Amino acid sequence: MVSQYGFKFAIHLITNHFGKIVAKVCETLFRKGPLSLGEIIRSTELTPEQVKNSLLVLVQHNCVQAYVPADQFRGEDGSMATVEYLALFDNIIHRLRFPKFLEIAKHQLDDECEKVLDGLLRDGRLTLKQMVERAVQGKENPGAIEAVVRESFHKLLKAHYIERCPAPEPVVSTLIKAESAPRKRGSKMAKKFEAPETIEQRVLEAAVPGEAIRFAVTAYTLGNADREAKSDDSSMVNDGDNSGGIANEGSILWRANFEEFIRHLRHKLLVENERKRLDDGAATILSAILDVTKTVEKKVKIEKSAPLSLDSIFTEVTKTEHGRTMTIDRVRASLVQLGCPQRNFDDSYSIDLKSIVEMARNEEVESIVLKRFGSDAYRIFRLLSKSNCFLETDKIAESALVDKKETPRLLYKLWKDNYLYMEKLVVTAAKQSRFMLWKVNKPLLWEYVLDEMYHAALNLSLRLAFEQEKDEDLLHVPADKLVPADKSSEANALQKRYRRLRDVLFLMGSSLMKLDDALMLFHDF
Amino acid sequence: MNKRKREGLASNSDNMSDAERIVYNVIHSKQNMGIWMADIKRETSLPESMIKKSIKMLQTKGEIKEVVNIKNKSRKHYMAAGFEPADEITGGSWYSEGKLDQEYIFRLRQVCLNYISRNVIANRDGILEFINRGGYFSGTTTQEVDQILGNLVLDDKIIEVKSTGYGDYEKFPVGRVCYRCKSKGGVNNGEGKIGAMASIPCGVCPRINLCSPDGYISPKTCEFYQKWLDF
Repeated sequence: MVSQYGFKFAIHLITNHFGKIVAKVCETLFRKGPLSLGEIIRSTELTPEQVKNSLLVLVQHNCVQAYVPADQFRGEDGSMATVEYLALFDNIIHRLRFPKFLEIAKHQLDDECEKVLDGLLRDGRLTLKQMVERAVQGKENPGAIEAVVRESFHKLLKAHYIERCPAPEPVVSTLIKAESAPRKRGSKMAKKFEAPETIEQRVLEAAVPGEAIRFAVTAYTLGNADREAKSDDSSMVNDGDNSGGIANEGSILWRANFEEFIRHLRHKLLVENERKRLDDGAATILSAILDVTKTVEKKVKIEKSAPLSLDSIFTEVTKTEHGRTMTIDRVRASLVQLGCPQRNFDDSYSIDLKSIVEMARNEEVESIVLKRFGSDAYRIFRLLSKSNCFLETDKIAESALVDKKETPRLLYKLWKDNYLYMEKLVVTAAKQSRFMLWKVNKPLLWEYVLDEMYHAALNLSLRLAFEQEKDEDLLHVPADKLVPADKSSEANALQKRYRRLRDVLFLMGSSLMKLDDALMLFHDF
Repeated sequence: MNKRKREGLASNSDNMSDAERIVYNVIHSKQNMGIWMADIKRETSLPESMIKKSIKMLQTKGEIKEVVNIKNKSRKHYMAAGFEPADEITGGSWYSEGKLDQEYIFRLRQVCLNYISRNVIANRDGILEFINRGGYFSGTTTQEVDQILGNLVLDDKIIEVKSTGYGDYEKFPVGRVCYRCKSKGGVNNGEGKIGAMASIPCGVCPRINLCSPDGYISPKTCEFYQKWLDF
């Protein structure tokens, strides 16, 4: 469930990028869930033309996915089908991260790849032909440029940083599956409980092409197995079969594969956190393991790395620059540090990635507590967070060495701001006495902190726009006027103002990017 | 011998009036927990004026004493002279006269931190020995050192580790609980890493729940932002 401020921030991003009308359509979809075209027109009170155009923009930029609910699907031609539109929250928030994605492409591949990706991010979806056209426009020597674009395209595709666009209107069953229906209470069932699949997950799953098609340049390279496996892919496959490779370039649409970028960023966070907590050696080993196992990762949020034998880990580690000098004993010792004290039965190691993410989340929350509530509250909070159970007020004061009068006040403050969970316990023995029990409820707290972070990101973004607007005239001043050629007070004042604006924009921009790292930590990782 | 014994008993009962004896017995029966004035009244059923008078007399005779109860400092709390108040009443060894002894805690923390940063790795026994040998404080107990170390861990100044028996841990048997400084360079004087949220005004804002784009408190009019962006 996305938080209230998450939606507000997403709508703010859409307003900034595509204007108010598109944002209104998007807001309606968030508020009411998936809707048909007619329903959107009725709810937004916009003209059909405006709604249609808005949806086209949103679909083009991968912010909305259309689908046909299975119960409304009539026959193969689909003439009776009502298409519904679903707003994709994650993809909208990813728009904030485009600079990071470009940086990854530039750093890991090259500048040319960054340019091709930039085109895709700006236009949402492009065919290879359009990518080439975009690059050669107004340039000399189009032949050479085309070759570079094609090469970059293949590099990006090989790294899975781009993918084929999903099926335009997949048929999705919106009925709740029998397995997820509530059954009788029982300990076994309780253990096996998993969050029910949301419509969004199901639609995305149905729309995404099979693994082989998703990253294939030409459709006819597919095996039959894939065709049989996914009926929705068949239309794409046929496109390819009829027209061959060159024609495909004008019909197959490509887009950036956000999932792969997020996976890359998650791996980076995991490695850097372990580097900070342990040492460079442990970080090198974790990085090597993640690199080799990423191809088998089915989703971004995996809890444990795929099992690898010590030999394969060692081979991978020695391939890296920093791992070349490591001995097998050193690798084994670092694996123990990384939380693999014992090998699995089949002589393989698998790293608990979830716990690294949780540690990073704890750190972020604790740092907020320290800044907002002070060092005594920080100690109390960490005591409760580490013990992970209910503790009584007096016990907390004793363990944290905080004054007994002060402790309830701090606990109350933390509780009032939703950082703690409290329960009252009334004991009626000889004398009635009331106890207050306190606990950190991590999943609930993380959800709350994430909402506050979306709120903060929205505020930061609004203030950034406000600062820009306030000093808009400065942005149009020619550069030579900002260099103090004459020493008049007017020129000085102008320069001072310009310097302030530059610092403000830099500070706010980098803070927003840092805050976005935290948003990913709590939402995507 | 006999006479002295009789004198001792007499001090407890012979010199007392009936009312005093009743009050004294109730207070004495509570041993090191003592008793609150109102509870004496409830248990003895004597009139308040008589209880007050008896208590005054007993205090003058040195039979009872008034103690500060940490849970409620304003309440009159009494205890027989022969007992030392229990930890529940005083708040434990960290409390002196009903107040948390901040200075003692601070000094003990500093001594522990300095010792650990000098020795890189230390265990509790080594620290305790160092404290007792140096004569910094009188009678620091094992429990006190344990609690201070636990606190330093909670403050993220030091981390608790288990000895591996190699390298820095050579001096300690494998598996023994040891402590080392958080930062590699020595004592971590900084307040740890500041998170993304904590480094912007909204992260520390107490009024974030009242803030909205068009509200009375909004990011455009926010004073915290004003200060933050004041270059």
